[in-house]
Amino acid sequence: MSALQTFIVLLFVTLAVLTLAAGLRGTAPKRVVAAGLLLWTFGAIATIWPHTVADLAHALGVGRGADLLLYMTTLSLAVVCFYMYARFRRVERQLTLLVRRLAMDAAIEKSPPQLMRSSIPSSEPVRRSESGASPRLLT
Amino acid sequence: MRPVALDQARVFIIVAAFNEAASIGDLVRDLMEQYAHVVVVDDGSTDETAELATEAGALVLSHLINRGQGAALQTGITYALAHSADYIVTLDVDGQYDVKDIALLLGPISDGTVHATLGVRASDHKPSVRMRLASTLRAIGKLAGRLGLRPPVPAAHNGLCAFSRHAAQMIDLKLDRMTHGSEIVQQIVAGGLNLQEIPVRVRVSDYALRKGQRSSHALRVAFQYIMARFTR
Repeated sequence: MSALQTFIVLLFVTLAVLTLAAGLRGTAPKRVVAAGLLLWTFGAIATIWPHTVADLAHALGVGRGADLLLYMTTLSLAVVCFYMYARFRRVERQLTLLVRRLAMDAAIEKSPPQLMRSSIPSSEPVRRSESGASPRLLT
Repeated sequence: MRPVALDQARVFIIVAAFNEAASIGDLVRDLMEQYAHVVVVDDGSTDETAELATEAGALVLSHLINRGQGAALQTGITYALAHSADYIVTLDVDGQYDVKDIALLLGPISDGTVHATLGVRASDHKPSVRMRLASTLRAIGKLAGRLGLRPPVPAAHNGLCAFSRHAAQMIDLKLDRMTHGSEIVQQIVAGGLNLQEIPVRVRVSDYALRKGQRSSHALRVAFQYIMARFTR
């Protein structure tokens, strides 16, 4: 094993240990830990025995090992992008709800709903049906 | 349209405004002449939109940061419902309509004909493709609802919408950025409520033209719809 190979393998081992530690501490979800360990193990194996990737590529009908790596990288990039986008949308949504809540609270402090209702001069008693299938006739 | 004496106190006008200092004051004053409750949702404006709206007599809800027009309208609708609104009107600041025409939109709702009305340009008003689509979509929507899908709906309106309380309760705008038109129609239709297009005289101001809409918006709307399907 060349010096470069040793260095890269050590890097992968370090990453694996860190991932595992995060999993044990409970700071990373199990799925992520599993995916991480799989990735680092694959990286280490591919570094120590480069021909395994070539063999795998061949078995899958892809010409070279490097090509297989490229395809896999592209695919995982797409998947990661999708998850990030989904997460981004979720955070955006939460942010909107938060901003809305703050706006509502500030307004309700200014004029509580009940006060506002009673301040409206209305000749008709307030009838409210939550189901209210049809809007009532106004005269 | 037969005239209906509407209890103005139960009508809430919702205006979503983002950096509209140039026109918000006049709009609110126009609205306040006829309606008691004018709610301006200041969507994180950096100019004095909020101050001018308050000065003109509107109740101002402030989004601390900009969340988009859809989000702002939803905030206004939520507020109006909490304050016992029976009729809710949403409109754009860059109004391509006359404020007096709001009464036209409220008519069919207050006399119980429909639950929601959309303002459309009077000039090109024939029962539009959108309306024919809407009725088709109601059927598709029911089917799609059963399959757990959300029905697709064409883009809508010239910025003027009116809802009954019941219809407003069905609205829950989740696509915060500019796609609320389609989302509103879709949710009303999916809720099984009927809506009607009301021809409204168009008043295209230079201001509105400048702000304008680009046709690339359509693509973006479509994209957001598709992604929203997958990212619950």
